[in-house]
Amino acid sequence: MNVKNDILWRVYLIYILVVVAGVFIFGKAVYIQQVQGKYWKSLSDSLHERYVETDAERGTIYSEDGEMLSTSIPQFDIYVDFGAEGLREKNGKRFRENIDSLSIALANLFKDASAAEYKRILIKGYKEKFRYYLLKKNISYEQYTAMKSFPLVRLGKNKSGFIADDKSIRLNPYKMLAFRTIGLDRDSFKVGLELSYDSILKGKSGTRLVRFIAGGVGVPVDGAYESEAVNGKDIITNIDVLIQEITENALLKMLVQNDAEHGCAIVMETSTGKIKAMANLGKGQDGNYYENYNYAINASEPGSTFKLATLMALLEDKKITLNQTVNLHGGTLKIADRTVLDAEQHGNYEVTAKQAFELSSNVGMAEMALEAYRNNPSAFIKQLHNFRLDEKTGIDLVGERNSTIIKPGSKNWSATTLPWMAFGYNVEVTPLQTLTLYNAIANNGKMMKPYLVNAITEEGRVLKKIEPEVLINKICSNSTLKQVKESLEGVCINGTAKKLFKNSPYPVAGKTGTALVAEGNKGYANKVYQSSFAGYFPANHPQYTCIVVIKNKPFAKVFYGADVAGVVFKEIADRLYTLYVKQNNTQMFASAIDSSYFNYIGYKNDALTLVQSLKIKTKDSANIVDDWVGIAGTKAGAKLYSKSVQLNKMPALTGMGLKDVMYLCGNMGLKVNVKGVGKVINQSVMPGESISKGMVVSVTLN
Amino acid sequence: MPKRYTATQTITPGIDWTVVILYLILVSIGILCIFMVEYKPNTDVLATFISGKTNYSKQLIFAGVCMVAAIFILLTDSKIYTAFANLSYTFGIILMLATFVIGRSINGSKSWIPIGGGFNLQPAELCKIFTALALAKYLSRQETDFSKIKSQLIGGAIAMAPAVLSVFQNETGLALVYLSFFIVMYREGLPPGLLIFGLSFGVLVIATLIVEPNILAIVLTAIAIITIYILRKQFKRNRRLLTIIIVLWALSVGIQRFAVPYIFNNVFQCYQSTRIYSMVGKDYDCSKNHHHTNANKANYKPPRKPDDYNVRQSKIAIGSGGIWGKGFLKGTQTRGKYVPEQHTDFIFTSLGEAFGLVGSIIFLLIYLFLLLRIIVIAERQRSTFSRVYAYSVASILFFHIVVNVCMTIGLFPIIGIPLPLISYGGSSLLTFTILIFIMLRLDADRQMVLR
Repeated sequence: MNVKNDILWRVYLIYILVVVAGVFIFGKAVYIQQVQGKYWKSLSDSLHERYVETDAERGTIYSEDGEMLSTSIPQFDIYVDFGAEGLREKNGKRFRENIDSLSIALANLFKDASAAEYKRILIKGYKEKFRYYLLKKNISYEQYTAMKSFPLVRLGKNKSGFIADDKSIRLNPYKMLAFRTIGLDRDSFKVGLELSYDSILKGKSGTRLVRFIAGGVGVPVDGAYESEAVNGKDIITNIDVLIQEITENALLKMLVQNDAEHGCAIVMETSTGKIKAMANLGKGQDGNYYENYNYAINASEPGSTFKLATLMALLEDKKITLNQTVNLHGGTLKIADRTVLDAEQHGNYEVTAKQAFELSSNVGMAEMALEAYRNNPSAFIKQLHNFRLDEKTGIDLVGERNSTIIKPGSKNWSATTLPWMAFGYNVEVTPLQTLTLYNAIANNGKMMKPYLVNAITEEGRVLKKIEPEVLINKICSNSTLKQVKESLEGVCINGTAKKLFKNSPYPVAGKTGTALVAEGNKGYANKVYQSSFAGYFPANHPQYTCIVVIKNKPFAKVFYGADVAGVVFKEIADRLYTLYVKQNNTQMFASAIDSSYFNYIGYKNDALTLVQSLKIKTKDSANIVDDWVGIAGTKAGAKLYSKSVQLNKMPALTGMGLKDVMYLCGNMGLKVNVKGVGKVINQSVMPGESISKGMVVSVTLN
Repeated sequence: MPKRYTATQTITPGIDWTVVILYLILVSIGILCIFMVEYKPNTDVLATFISGKTNYSKQLIFAGVCMVAAIFILLTDSKIYTAFANLSYTFGIILMLATFVIGRSINGSKSWIPIGGGFNLQPAELCKIFTALALAKYLSRQETDFSKIKSQLIGGAIAMAPAVLSVFQNETGLALVYLSFFIVMYREGLPPGLLIFGLSFGVLVIATLIVEPNILAIVLTAIAIITIYILRKQFKRNRRLLTIIIVLWALSVGIQRFAVPYIFNNVFQCYQSTRIYSMVGKDYDCSKNHHHTNANKANYKPPRKPDDYNVRQSKIAIGSGGIWGKGFLKGTQTRGKYVPEQHTDFIFTSLGEAFGLVGSIIFLLIYLFLLLRIIVIAERQRSTFSRVYAYSVASILFFHIVVNVCMTIGLFPIIGIPLPLISYGGSSLLTFTILIFIMLRLDADRQMVLR
């Protein structure tokens, strides 16, 4: 019995042990889930996964010649967590051992404070145990990578406490150049192309499931939840960096010289409507000029450049001929209760209509318009509509303003509206509209839509090509066109711009403008003049159309269109002519007649055999001593010239056949990598570069 | 189910179907839990189950292998277990010794033998079966009188030899499992004083960790003085009593002042000390640790996460489950893969998070039912061999379950031992399958007397 009791006792104890353990576990589980449940739950929520937006990389804005105008680059803010465990471990042993070398390295890198100063900052931070101390703001990627190799920092975040907060900023490598046109990528208020093409540039931000672990560090969770960020597309503008620079500089020079308030200059490619340059400069608070406002698409009273529209309307409606006589009344004419004044009291009376235009006579234009449209002003307005002056140009730039053209019958219409409109007052148009009209004339009546962006690309692949767009196929009759062109050229030969283009090597057609600007409630009393010049060049074969509008300071000494805006126009035109127009012409010239032109290079003996068997007349340069020759010329006659080959220099391979290339390069110990068939058009090692045996040169054949 | 009964009658008469069903339920829950841990949305679930690439798919394959093993065991003769008990134990010990020579290090413990095909065998795991058999064999010998100290020492040696080897293999968790054999030996007549002594020792160690050393010394001294005062009249009759009390007092203070700090600083690794300290809610300063300072000289990399990270994440998982849980496949802790080793040692957390308190309790009740059923089976055996063996099975399972669940809820320091039949791992599943089915085989022949 004793034995049985003993065993029973033991078995019960084992049962009890099992149950007690069970109760303990049960109790603890209830405690965790019920008593502490809320705490763990909150931890679970705060620690856990959240969907986090991942930023898409914003696209780059390129110029037509491939320069970056605006791009995104990473930037870093460096914080230090002086409470990092690894840093404070063993009473800050790691910190103490590295602080001197780190301070020196930091001082050397940033060069904004001495090593001693950095050391002081770090020690202070360590003492105060700052958890998120801002050490340095906005450091570049290069600086960041350099810093990562520094003592302490290279040990990583946990041991050094160094935290880099990266962000992306927008950088305009060309600074002020076309700054306003390119625009700003600000969060609150974007402008320019950055705004117009925002949806394309910004891409689509993705979402990603991130789980947060101790210290608020996010770790991306693998899985199918994520949607990848789609990077923004790049856009290629029509802007040419060189033309933009020329334009901007010319404008700036004049603004500074004349202490003007602001100005803009636009250059358009005549045949396409491409905006090659768009400069907008305004005087800042500090007296310097900045790209601070899109003056080019802001409407104002255009002044005399508008006379082109008047002249076109009159000719189109056959109200005048260029040779009819107009009375200028010596430069003063009273209409209703107001007086029309010419810019200067010239004392002329009887002139032709063409002369009135060339001399930019307000009286003459007013009188002709009044004569023609007195009884039917709507006909004049209708012509302006035909010239598309009452409509936006539709340029791909957000913020283009509407023009203001008063219609007969509106409450603003008065007896003086029509004559004043004739010389560019009581009407508001943007410089871009004026330019578009002038360009239509230059382009033989075909009005092109101005545009800034010609392609949308992604990683160099063109996604969308934007082609030139015709707004109006024929803006006026051929006879009007011819007469208007003649008049515009006349301005630069006999008229207001005569002095300006006196010795011009190429003909220019254009129109000056000098408008008195109403300044708020002061009216025209402040004598603020807006000088402008719109025109195209070369007049006989227009390549570019350009407008310059400058608003002078009150009581400026020089304010005539020709003397202010005209000078800028001429500088732009001169430089563009030498850079592009002239060159283009010669190239076109050359390619036009040289269709049978050839230029081959080969081994001398082969070349001679060839020349003889084909019976090509050659002007043999008697003293060919080299093994290699070139044959250049046309059917009519060719010329042999020697190609000297130096042993240690890369020869020019262009024009050679593959056989000769292999022979020549093989002799020199070069290895050749071939692409394509035909004659060499490109070589990876440039002629004249030093070469060594075994070097690889890649050649591309056409 | 009379039909199945007749079908299986010839092969396995007298099998305890309750245990078999509980076994199958637990293995299924295990695969389900691993599936919850590994599940990725938008994948073809069926395909991943068949592919053999995911852990739950592998576990399914292991389960299949285990079924084959189980049927094979049921087909054997019970006598071979008594016959080969000592031989298998010897084989197990040799295997464990071999580990030191041809062993391979996995997760810092050199306790694995590569057996090809990417599979590794952990002899310490397998040795549990052999030890259970050997102990049963020894205790069931006619000439063994377990009331004698000598027999008790031999029994203890049989149980502890693999444990000692295991400690040398740096696999402390598995070594501790062998302590569960003391429950068996206790049932067979080990004096209860040993258990009481062990328990008091445990309390003393925990007190040492929690209470400031000097205060604890004063408290212990005070207890000794009070005891002497209360028992002062008995000293005249029993001189030895005073000596015992003074020796006990000296021993306690010695342990508290010297032994425990020495063990924590010199015997245990830094992470082990930290875990034990964190269990009682204290920080352990690793710079005091002998191993740590030694290792540091050799460019030792300290663990990146705080050591209570696992428990913390595990508690978050269980705690955020609430009463009813977040639902199947909806646990954020589980899905976010927050809990380290969740498919193995921390598998319980996935259950706690998904099915909450109710789910956990039901799950633990299944275990409890299994354990009690095994004890019932043990007590109905005629032969000592079968009884001791069944008790061994119960004890090992009990120890595994308690320690594993306790460590996931922060009641016990983290020692890497798996949850029986649930945790991922072929070695572990196979071991428990063999353990349980040998027991069922023996139970089926409970009318026989095995020696």
